[in-house]
Parts: sequence; C-alpha cells; structure tokens
Amino acid sequence: MITKEIIDHIEGEASLYFEMQEKRVDFVTVVFPHFRGMENMLKGKSALDALVITPRVCGICGHAHLMATVRAIEDAYKNSGHPIEVSNKAQNMRELTLTLEIIQNHLKWLYLVLIPQLNNFENITLSLTPLKGAYGASLATKALAILAGQWPHSSYMIPGGVTSDPTYIELMQLRAHLEKLSDFLEKETLGTTVQNFLSFESCKNFNKIASDVSSVEQALFDLRMHKKGFSHDDFIVLGEHRFTQIAKSRATRLYNVDITKVHVEDAFSPQEKSYAKNALYKNAFYETGPLARLISKDVKLIKNMHRRYKDSNYTRAMARIYEMVYLLQHSLDLVKEIDITQDSCTKSVTLSKVTAQGIGVVEAPRGPLIHKIKLKEGIIERYEIITPTQWNISSGTKLKPSPAQKAMIGLNKQDAEFVFRTFDVCSVCTTH
Amino acid sequence: MHLNTETKPKLLWLQGVTCNGNSHSFLNLESLEQLLDKFELLYHPLLASTFSLSEITSLQNSCDILIFEGTYDPEFTRNNIPLKEILPYYALHAEYIIALGTCASFGGMFQSLAPERNSGLLYKVEEEGGPLIAYKKRVINLSGCPVHPEWLATTLQMLLAKHTIVVDDLQRPRELYSSLAHHGCTRNEYFEWKVDTKGFGLKEGCLFYEQGCRAPLTHASCNTILWNEVSSKTRVGTPCFGCTEPSFPRTNYFQTKTNMSIPQDVPLGVSKRAYLTVAGMAKTFHIKRLEGVLIDYKRDH
Repeated sequence: MITKEIIDHIEGEASLYFEMQEKRVDFVTVVFPHFRGMENMLKGKSALDALVITPRVCGICGHAHLMATVRAIEDAYKNSGHPIEVSNKAQNMRELTLTLEIIQNHLKWLYLVLIPQLNNFENITLSLTPLKGAYGASLATKALAILAGQWPHSSYMIPGGVTSDPTYIELMQLRAHLEKLSDFLEKETLGTTVQNFLSFESCKNFNKIASDVSSVEQALFDLRMHKKGFSHDDFIVLGEHRFTQIAKSRATRLYNVDITKVHVEDAFSPQEKSYAKNALYKNAFYETGPLARLISKDVKLIKNMHRRYKDSNYTRAMARIYEMVYLLQHSLDLVKEIDITQDSCTKSVTLSKVTAQGIGVVEAPRGPLIHKIKLKEGIIERYEIITPTQWNISSGTKLKPSPAQKAMIGLNKQDAEFVFRTFDVCSVCTTH
Repeated sequence: MHLNTETKPKLLWLQGVTCNGNSHSFLNLESLEQLLDKFELLYHPLLASTFSLSEITSLQNSCDILIFEGTYDPEFTRNNIPLKEILPYYALHAEYIIALGTCASFGGMFQSLAPERNSGLLYKVEEEGGPLIAYKKRVINLSGCPVHPEWLATTLQMLLAKHTIVVDDLQRPRELYSSLAHHGCTRNEYFEWKVDTKGFGLKEGCLFYEQGCRAPLTHASCNTILWNEVSSKTRVGTPCFGCTEPSFPRTNYFQTKTNMSIPQDVPLGVSKRAYLTVAGMAKTFHIKRLEGVLIDYKRDH
C-alpha cells in the first residue's frame, strides 16, 4: 500500500509517497506540488532585470541566485567577445556575502529543523531554542547587509562587480558583527572556541564539549544515525569558490567534472504531478551540499567521519554543522582581504551588444545552483535554473533512486522522514 | 473592532504563492522573542507553532490575526486544500488580516503567472479585485518585497496597543508608508543639486537620473528604518526598485527612462514644470565639492 505524507516546516512543502514492507520503506517517491514559472517570467526582459527577479526565487538563498545570475551574464559577455574584468575587491565581497548567506541558512536549519525534529524521537530531549537560530542568522545577515544593502533580496551584484563601495568604518562594523556572531556561536552553539572546533579531527573530540552541538551529535548517535541514511556515496561540487573545490567524488576520491555533462529529466512521480525536474551528471545522481564540499576540500574531521560512518545520516548532518563554522572562519579571513583602494565595478560595453549564451554556477547552501541565460542584444531569450535540491531530492525509479530516496529506503517511516529533512529541503527553489 | 488582549491573541501565518522572503525577513527582527511572546502562534511555516499544517488545513480553528504571505491564487493548494477554501474560512472571523508583502497586497511577483485569477487580498495590481474586498476595513496592506521586519512588528504592536491605524489609499499604514524611500537617503545632497553618479560602485552621486532609482516615487521607510538595522539599497549604490508599489515588478530596473535627458517620471506630487525649473537651475551651478570623490583611498597608494 502506498501512503502519502505531507512534509512542511521545510522551505515550502513536499509530499512523500511511501511504499512500506513490514514497516520498512521499500520505495518512496518525492513530489513538489507547487509551480511558479520564474524562467518564463524572465523571457523578453533585459538581462539586468534578472538581477532583481531571480533573488526572488527563494527567500532563504536569494543571494546565491543573484550571484548565479551575475556570473551567467558575465559569461555571456565573455562569449560575445566582450569579457568583463571583475576586481579582486568585488570578487571578495561577492564571496563574502554568499558565504554569510550559507551561514545563516545552516544556523536556521540546525535550530529550526534539526533540533526540533530530533526532539520528536522518543528518549531524545534537547532544549528547543529556535529563536537562537534566528538570532545568530540575523547577525550574519546584518554583516551581509553592510555590503549588500539588505537581506533577503539584495541586488548589489551587477556585471563588472558590485554597486557598493565600502569605507573602512563599514568594514570595521562588518567585522564587529562577525566577531559578535563568533562569540555567540562559541557560547551558545559550540561550547568551545571556533578555532578549537575547527581543529577537531575525530568524532571523539565532541565528547570533550558540552553544548548544543555535542548534544545533537550524541542524539544522532543514540538514534543510530551513523548506521542509517546511506546514499550512493557519490558527490559533486560545481561552483567555483575558495571555500571548496570543483570535483565529483566517488567516496573521497576526486575526479574532474565538465559542466556541460549536467542535464535534467522529468521526475518519476506516478501518484501526483511534481514540478521538480531531476538533475543528473552523465546520467547519474550525485549528492551535493556541505558534505560534498568538505570532502572536496579534504577536511580532516569530515574525512574521518566518512571513513568510519560513510555517507550516513550522521556524517551528512554533522558536515552541515561543521561547514557553518568553517565558513565563519573563511568570512573573517575574507574581510581582511577586501582592498578598498580597488574599483568596486568596472565599466563594460553596453548590454545591447551582447548576443550570446552564458552559464553561471555557484555553490548555494544546499549545493550547486546553475543559471543558464541566452541573450539576444541584451534581451533574455531563454533562462534556465537548476537548483541543488533537484540533485539531492530528485525522484527517480526503484532501479535508479536519487540520493535522498536511496537514503530513505530500508528505514522505518519516522527515520526516513528525518533523513529526508537532513538534506535540508528547499521546495521553494526547486519549484521555481 | 479591537483585539481582546486578556488572553494572547491567536496569530496564524498562511502562505499563498511565495518565495518565503517575508518569513525570512521577519526572522531578522531584533526583538523577535519579545514580540512572539505576546501572541499564540497557531501556525508559521518556519517557526514552531501550536498546530501542524494538516490541522490548520482541516479548517476547525479560528484566529484573531491572520497574516497572509504571497500571491493569492484561488487554485493554489496547501496540503491539497485550495486557498479559495482556506483563506475565506480564516478571514471570516479574524479581527485583522495583514496582507504581508507586495504579492499579498497587490499580486506582486507572481501576479503575472495567472493574471486572470491571481491577485493580492484586496487589489489586483492597482484595482480592487481581490478575494477579501468585502472585508477591506479589517485588512492592512504591508507592501514590500520583502517587508521590513520592523514594519510588521510595528503593525502588530499597534494592534496590541489598540492604536488606530491610519491607512493610505492603498490600505497601508501611513505610519510606515507616508514618506518616500528617498527620505533619509545619504545621496540626497546629490539629488538636490542634480549631480548624477558616474556609474555603479561609487559612493558619490544620485542614482535617480540614469541608474533607475525609484526612491522619489516610492512610499517606503527603507532609509529611515534601515534594513537589517544597518543599510539600504541606495546606501550601497543599488537603485530603489519601487518594490512597495502596485507597479512592482517593473522592467529596466537599472536604467532611468528619460525624455530629452530628463527623467520621464518626476518625484511624486511635483509637477513636471516645477521639477524642470528647479532641476535646470540647479544644474547651472557647478559645485566642486559634489563633483569630486569623497575619500580618495588611492591617493596615498
């Protein structure tokens, strides 16, 4: 018998159709029921209008959409024979604000999704403090807004750089907010210093701290999540950033990738129409996001976790938490590197001279976000968006399940729904 | 009609076609905890709440304040129940209904997806044509894409304090929408003397003449109640896109439409003749201080 479960308190809404056998998931399909048609909305508009429209695909990762758009437009400029140079300053600012958006995302996931969901299990009693997550996230977005004007829905990245031109005062304020966030995390979340946390090399290190993170780690163990939620153990990173490395990996062994080998196909959802398309690389599914990124960067703790517990749900969840701290350190480093004597934005030829295609790829909180643009004299003829959740939470067949489907098969329903949420589902993005 | 504040008013946060932007914007509120303490949260898409989505969509409860985020599409479903059933059910008994964001106020970003049926709660773009027009007096429009968290917090606090909320022609609180996004803009001096910016990425110059800035035509308090408490679009050199007005989304956000190099749309309430006279006069003066760079970081390098 097939039973349907509605999943809410994710970004948007999803339905899972479970086929159970002896109380275990024999198969499951995923349906994202909503549709907005934002790609069509962009047709016939000036390429620059996409900088305002695509952030509005998603309330939690709009900044990643903005950056994918600006990269796609700049790529189209290049392909039309008019390459644009972007100063190091502007590149650092873009990377910094993108990083801060990922941090706020992971903090919200930890406190608004993971901890409450863990608490739903019998015998798990964690303190529920969702507003801690919101507060920490607001410190990250405050720092972000100093450069980008606001969060959500900033449009401060434009072809050639960024619109803002920060002063030393602003950079010092930004740094102060990040230090405040760092103090907050150390006191409220980690139970140790950021530096000490980042020096962890083994799961045993968590035994020495008493904090929200160590309680979560313990709860994941108690629920045997290190023995559950295994997926394909194939990972992919496609966005170019300093905090990760472009690669696909079979377990922890890295291989080169070619972005042109990415394609999409219709989801397998016999019970109900799904508006999400499956994203694949060379016709195979790959897991994306924090675990993929940290493996590609050869981060010791995560590699050790992976060696012991493979791509279990424990490793997946802990990677998301670890990345939040890892990126905070990265953002503190980036602030120092912003050289305000450089130009914020370089001039480029008029957009009407651009007739070409372009592709923009960034790492959004949940993995690679791909925007493809086709321009005729600066006007959008076609726009295509492929989001990270389309990779992780595709709906494939029983013979060829997606990462999330594979991770849920064989579990009881409660575990399966929990595993589903540890992929940090963004239905909103996926049904753009 | 006033809220009964002897018990905590019951707040229900319902979503139509949305990006979740207003939900996330609200989480930035510095006094979030203190504000939420004053309500019973029946349902919120992200925060822990009394009921689950399936309990809410079984239509057996009632709320005192209904917040609706997103464009209204009658056929759009939550938990397979169409909005045309959910919205009227809760709206009937709610003391106040807040249309949160430009989508819920006027149709906004997702109006164009199904223009014949999509709308805001009261307005279809600028015309009255939304599903709750019969309840107009109980509906408060908070437009913005997204809405600033303080705008929502202020409105909720005013309802709690039983203050009369004075609204404008589009049912928005005048407290928040009586002035323009232009007020408090740090580039105002350049606007006064008609000195335009020489491009993007600069601290100097006004964005109204070439870069598409809509701040002098847009009702919003973005430059007086700062975003994330620290900034605004124009402060970081991004033009205002006019996102609190029914005309949003527009086109050509980064370019000012001009006739004979004069902006086609002049500041709100100012006659074209008055604007041209003042602009022409201002432009005849060259004010050296406004033509140079404010801080020359390159000089000593």
